Parts: sequence; C-alpha cells; structure tokens
Amino acid sequence: MFTDKVEAKDFAKMDPEYQDLLRRIITIQSDCEIGGPHLYVEKMLPNAPTKLDQLLVARTAAEEVDHYRKFARLAGDIGVDVSFVLSQPNQKRYVEAFRGTITTWEDFAVFGFLIDRIGRYQLEEFIGCTYAPIEPLLPDIINEELGHIDYGATQTTELLTKGDESREKVQKAIDTWYIKGLDMFGRSESRRSERYCHWGIKRRTNAQARDAYMKEVEPLIKGMGLKVPDPLKGRKYL
Amino acid sequence: MAQTVNTKEVDEYLEQVVQALHRTVRYAIPHVKKDAEIADKAVKDCEEILSVVMEGNVSEWLK
Repeated sequence: MFTDKVEAKDFAKMDPEYQDLLRRIITIQSDCEIGGPHLYVEKMLPNAPTKLDQLLVARTAAEEVDHYRKFARLAGDIGVDVSFVLSQPNQKRYVEAFRGTITTWEDFAVFGFLIDRIGRYQLEEFIGCTYAPIEPLLPDIINEELGHIDYGATQTTELLTKGDESREKVQKAIDTWYIKGLDMFGRSESRRSERYCHWGIKRRTNAQARDAYMKEVEPLIKGMGLKVPDPLKGRKYL
Repeated sequence: MAQTVNTKEVDEYLEQVVQALHRTVRYAIPHVKKDAEIADKAVKDCEEILSVVMEGNVSEWLK
C-alpha cells in the first residue's frame, strides 16, 4: 500500500492510475458539493416554513458553494477544470442521489439528516490522504457539514411532533433517502474502491464505509420512533 | 502544475458570492422576529445571488 505524501508539484510524477483516481474523486466531490444546492435552492429557499429557516437554507447553500469552490481550486492545482459541473443538469450528476429536485420540507430535513451525513463520511475518507493538499481543507468543511446534519436532524425531529400525517411524510422521506444514501457508497465489490485504498486516497472500501454509516444511522432512525427501511430493497449498487 | 485557465477567476468570483451570502444572512438573522421587512429583503437578496450561481453561466461571471 502506498503511504507517501504527495504535494501538488509532484502530482505529474505519480503513477497514471494515481493521477486518474485523484482527478476522478476530486471531480465527483466537487459535483456533489454543488449538487446539493441544485437539489433544494429553487423550491426550499422560497418555501421553507419560517423566515429563519429560509435564511438557514441560504446559509447552507452558501457553505456548499464554498465547499465546491475549495475542491474546484484543488482540482485546478492538478490541471482539472471542474467548472462544467456548475451548469450541469441535475440528471447528469455523478451520484444518483443528486439527480432530482427536493420539493418538500420533509425531504429537505431528511436530506440533511441522512445525506449530508454521507457527505461527512466522504470527506472523512480523505483524513490521512496521501494527496497532502486535501487534508488542510477538511476541518472547516466537515465542521460545516456537521452543522447541516444537526439542522436536518432537528428539523426531522420537529416534523415528527406535528401529527400522524407529518410522521408519515417523514417516514416516506426516510424510506427514499436511506436507500439512495446506501447506494451513494458504491458497489461493495468495486475494484476501483480497492485501488483508492491501495493508493491511500481513501481510508476505507465502499463496503466498510457503508457498514459504519448503517451502524451510526440505524439507532438514530429507531430513536426517532421511525422504521429503518430494508437496506436491500430498491438498491441499485450492492 | 499551473492552475487551469478559469479556476482562479471562478474561485475569486465564488468567494465573493459566498461572502455576500454570509453577510446577508448574518445581518438578517437577529431581525427575523422583530423586523420582517429586513428578513424578507435578505431572503430575496439570497435568492437573487443564488439563482446566478445555480445558473452556472461561468463565462458571464468572468466578463
């Protein structure tokens, strides 16, 4: 396994496989960062339940745009222009969970609770990454993602106090996003996932990260009095 | 390795956008309960700023 630290100036000297994998993962990360606002800004910013929520939606979007900016700069350092993802239609996003539109507050809340948490997992994969310039970006970005997760969890919990109809809508959102979320980790038998680990770009395989996520999130869903969806039903990437 | 052509300019543009959004939200939050007009205007401003980002028309930003 490769453990050296690589600086931007040495990137071009690296094995072509390392270069390809790093270019790919930074492009996907940039796409995911900007993909969030593309899902919810249009409908949720004008329609969040209160003025404060509207402002917090705007702040969340601002932070995601900033995360995109930081990864785009990192991409630029290795000769990759990721600005095409800024105008990419949602249907063309790299990760399926971002190929749509969020139109309800239940979906927005659960998206924060479940999917921003996966954002945190994706970022935590880079802790100790052999590509040295990534690590200094992580603390601030992860901290902001923690804020999004907390806000999503709080909003989800609040929705559950609003009666049976609201609870049903939240459960439906959990059913949707939990499955989309598990798919976000990719296939368990992915060869590429092993190569990321081999080159020290990621810490864990897809399967290891997904298992850790499930162990974290299932008690949280149950703790809200909700049902954990069948983790295999409706999955596209096993 | 040198930055790609657009990266530095897009970075600077988006940095300003993010700062403007944060300024707008920070200013409005303390007024949310007492002055709806300020909050309304802030939300409108954020909508306007973010709609430009969501459009993603990079060549326009760099003019």
